[in-house]
Amino acid sequence: MNKEIIVIGGGASGLAAAIAAKEEGRDILLIEKESKLGGILNQCIHNGFGLEVFKEEYTGPEYANKYVQKFHESKIDFLLDTTVLHIDKIENGFEIILSSKVTGMKKVTCQSIIMSTGCYERTRGSISIPGDRPYGVITAGSAQRYLNIDGYMIGKKVFILGSGDIGLIMARRMYLEGAEVLGVAELMPYSNGLTRNIVQCLNDYNIPLYLSHTVTEIHGNDDNRLESIVIQEVNQSYQPIPGTEREFSVDTLLLSIGLVPDITLMDNLDVEHDLKTKSVKVNQAYETSVPGLFICGNSLQVHDLVDNVSMESERAGKCASEFVLAKKIESNESIKIKAGNNLLFVTPHYVDFAWASRETVIQFRSTSKIEKALLTVSQGDKELLSKRKSFIVPAEMETFTLDMNQIEKGSDILVNLEVL
Amino acid sequence: MYDYVVIGAGIVGSFIARELSKYNLKALVLEKENDVANVQTLANSAILHSGHNPEPNSLKTKLCLLGNKLYEEVEDELCIPLLRTGAYVVAHNNDEEQKLLDLVETTKANHVTEYELLDYAEACKTEPNLAKSITKVLSLPTTKVTYPWEAAFACMENAIVNGVEFKKNSEVTNITKSKEGFVVTVNKLDNYHTKYVINATGVNTDDIAAMVEKHVSFKIKPRHGEYYVLDKRVKGFVNHVLYPLPTDLGKGVLLTPQIHGNILVGPDSKWVDDKYRTNNTPAGLEYVKTNAKHLAENVPFHQIIRSFAGIRATSDQDDFIIEESKEAKGFYHLAGIDSPGLTAAPAIAKYLVEDIMHVQDKYSINKEFNPIRFKNKEFGSLDYEQQLEFIKKDPLHGNIICKCENITEREVLDAINGPLGSNTIKGVKKRCRAGAGLCQGGYCEEKVYKLIVRETKATPLDVCYDGAKSNMFVSETKVK
Ligand SMILES: Cc1cc2nc3c(=O)[nH]c(=O)nc-3n(C[C@H](O)[C@H](O)[C@H](O)COP(=O)(O)OP(=O)(O)OC[C@H]3O[C@@H](n4cnc5c(N)ncnc54)[C@H](O)[C@@H]3O)c2cc1C
Ligand SMILES: Cc1cc2nc3c(=O)[nH]c(=O)nc-3n(C[C@H](O)[C@H](O)[C@H](O)COP(=O)(O)OP(=O)(O)OC[C@H]3O[C@@H](n4cnc5c(N)ncnc54)[C@H](O)[C@@H]3O)c2cc1C
Repeated sequence: MNKEIIVIGGGASGLAAAIAAKEEGRDILLIEKESKLGGILNQCIHNGFGLEVFKEEYTGPEYANKYVQKFHESKIDFLLDTTVLHIDKIENGFEIILSSKVTGMKKVTCQSIIMSTGCYERTRGSISIPGDRPYGVITAGSAQRYLNIDGYMIGKKVFILGSGDIGLIMARRMYLEGAEVLGVAELMPYSNGLTRNIVQCLNDYNIPLYLSHTVTEIHGNDDNRLESIVIQEVNQSYQPIPGTEREFSVDTLLLSIGLVPDITLMDNLDVEHDLKTKSVKVNQAYETSVPGLFICGNSLQVHDLVDNVSMESERAGKCASEFVLAKKIESNESIKIKAGNNLLFVTPHYVDFAWASRETVIQFRSTSKIEKALLTVSQGDKELLSKRKSFIVPAEMETFTLDMNQIEKGSDILVNLEVL
Repeated sequence: MYDYVVIGAGIVGSFIARELSKYNLKALVLEKENDVANVQTLANSAILHSGHNPEPNSLKTKLCLLGNKLYEEVEDELCIPLLRTGAYVVAHNNDEEQKLLDLVETTKANHVTEYELLDYAEACKTEPNLAKSITKVLSLPTTKVTYPWEAAFACMENAIVNGVEFKKNSEVTNITKSKEGFVVTVNKLDNYHTKYVINATGVNTDDIAAMVEKHVSFKIKPRHGEYYVLDKRVKGFVNHVLYPLPTDLGKGVLLTPQIHGNILVGPDSKWVDDKYRTNNTPAGLEYVKTNAKHLAENVPFHQIIRSFAGIRATSDQDDFIIEESKEAKGFYHLAGIDSPGLTAAPAIAKYLVEDIMHVQDKYSINKEFNPIRFKNKEFGSLDYEQQLEFIKKDPLHGNIICKCENITEREVLDAINGPLGSNTIKGVKKRCRAGAGLCQGGYCEEKVYKLIVRETKATPLDVCYDGAKSNMFVSETKVK
């Protein structure tokens, strides 16, 4: 089988990318490993999706269904219950190995790939929380799936580590299901979740938020189920302060300690990595350093709002289509976009003049909470943009667009945030 | 009435069970945990040591060397995987080089015939990430790595097929002497009558001994050891087991390549009071990190996917204690079996059965004994053409359950339904590695529990993580 574009992953990102490329007339195959399209949205039964794209508030599944419907109307080929196992670069495109119970293993070729494989949750192991290793220490997203999709409660007395959005939403969800939610501990001196979630999920239910705190001890019982945890305040270098120990008897510790783009499929490809986003570097067309290999959604960078995922992926879909039409877009010259002061990261990483007709949508996160800031974008001595911003937090990704007509070949672009 | 009751299903109990099944006798294995290989055999370095450092003429040396060889036999018979890594013991300066020469003397005295001294440049040819501070290396080509859980399952499965009975969740709580031998009480409830008892309970050997002896001649002094696990994506970072020079506290912090590509970093060594608490501590993990840096440059700590700890059943005597109880005839101890206990296990079993218990003089050979235990090659280890073959024979191989480790539905079903199948999340992980990878079950735990539900006709509320009361879920949600 040979396709123009293969989209890997059928979440918000893959759906939007596939629809956009199909609108341009491309021949597409979307591959999803689960038995249902929609990805992570299916388990997000709370409100708060779509304000940007639809100017209306939907639940996750409702938002997903809007796209799934459009996807089906577009008559795009797709495979469910099918996992992509391997990608190889071949001449003029890619060869993919996929596998499913029904069709077995198969090789499929295509000219271009859009990676939209989402992200996975950081686990206890990756941050080495000390203590016993009982059951009941579980990532918030897994707990959310068990609760919202399968209909099972994983515990009755809950503590949450990390104030990421999933953790906050799960605090409310477990509370409403009758669990006792004893608190949320956050290592940083500020929350990592959206402000609206702090208010609506914690404050409204009197769930305490312990800023500058972390879990330093975990106790299991003889049956290897969680019994209690200890939290401690941390100093400025994030080391626990002796004497601040507080023990909570709980049967569940939810971890909401971050998401990591899932790019393991690219392990054997010659892609350039970004240690900050923990994903790969792209140009303004969402193309990686491997020509024809595009990436978007949470596998490119972890988003807080699905609307941004959809919009970004639409752009990526259009670019992949352009790539296929132009047969091969030679990368003629590119300049770097650099993250300057107070920026955790910036995407895209390059402006490639082969894609000069594309607008450059820049997204970034700050390294800390800034009340008042001046955002400047410059190329050499030339200022491309200067804008005052208030209340910038790492938890909320910022977006702006650069006018390509302003950008010249030559020196790199620097994105800066000055504290005012 | 049993001939033998074996208490404990770690690697030692499992090899003993298989050894006993070669004779016409009735044997029962009792294990307190919900699975085989859940204590020391669960958490160790997985190394089959060459025998370079225990005291010459000790049981440890003798059985380590023999055990290392015997694994070569069971590799094919029982499908126990071996990774022939070889090992490097490293020295950093003149002082350490002198100690390395002393170690060569011990190595020779221990009849380890294959060894070689290499200078840094030579060693770097096969081990390019070796720490730059290293000056000399003792190469030990016979050192290997196995997969301890699989080794224990293989032995126990084979023992079961050959007639041994196995009971899990069966904690021995009391033992009394009787006219014919012993009455072994399990969970304070059920009694088993037996002629002989084998005490292979690791850290509990002194407690069990105290059930039949007034004066127990040894004491277990638990020694705690912590590790980091690096993701399999680090495969090839080091290819040998890397040891520092041994000290009184043992072999030190090592870098050990594992069968599936991961690297273990550890262990440290700490005397502890609690025999059971295999917790991780910030100090222990820090120690491990610091010391690993003396072995290799730029250890990829950003690829840490997990940490764990184990407890060594070190005794107050230097050597393995493998003997008949002085007070209770017909009662046998396997105590102080810390490292190299995994290596020695097949030899320990033979030594106990033939040289200490003389089973061959008491029972006839089991002519039906089938030495073969077969296990399919791991799907993920096959090349594309072989994988197609597998799927043609069994479409369930087409369904990937664990994306990180490439584990198929067939492999999970085998883990649940095999001769020594398990209905727990951890049991499945130990058998087929679903959940052992980068995302630590984030993707597949849900699929695994649903397969357990389907295959064992349980409800989700029944599914346990590990112990028989470690249920994953506490209730259904209010609205369903
Ligand atoms: C718990 C949670 C709460 C959120 N709450 C909000 C909110 O309130 N408001 C809001 O706007 N946004 C919210 N978001 C953010 C937004 O929903 C997500 O960022 C967005 O849905 C991500 O879409 P995606 O397509 O990039 O990833 P996913 O939805 O994760 O999709 C990736 C898909 O790829 C598939 N896949 C992965 N690997 C393979 C492979 N090898 N082969 C085949 N298929 C594969 C996966 O099965 C999955 O379906 C939330 C996100 C989460 C996780
Ligand atoms: C950190 C560490 C690193 C090590 N590294 C290596 C290495 O690299 N190479 C090597 O050769 N060796 C190594 N060892 C040693 C090796 O792991 C042990 O020697 C070996 O696993 C001992 O096996 P066992 O069967 O005696 O003990 P265990 O595996 O502990 O088995 C004993 C069993 O008895 C059961 N039991 C206890 N009490 C009762 C009761 N009352 N009723 C019923 N059942 C009971 C337990 O539940 C347990 O399953 C290491 C050990 C540790 C802790």
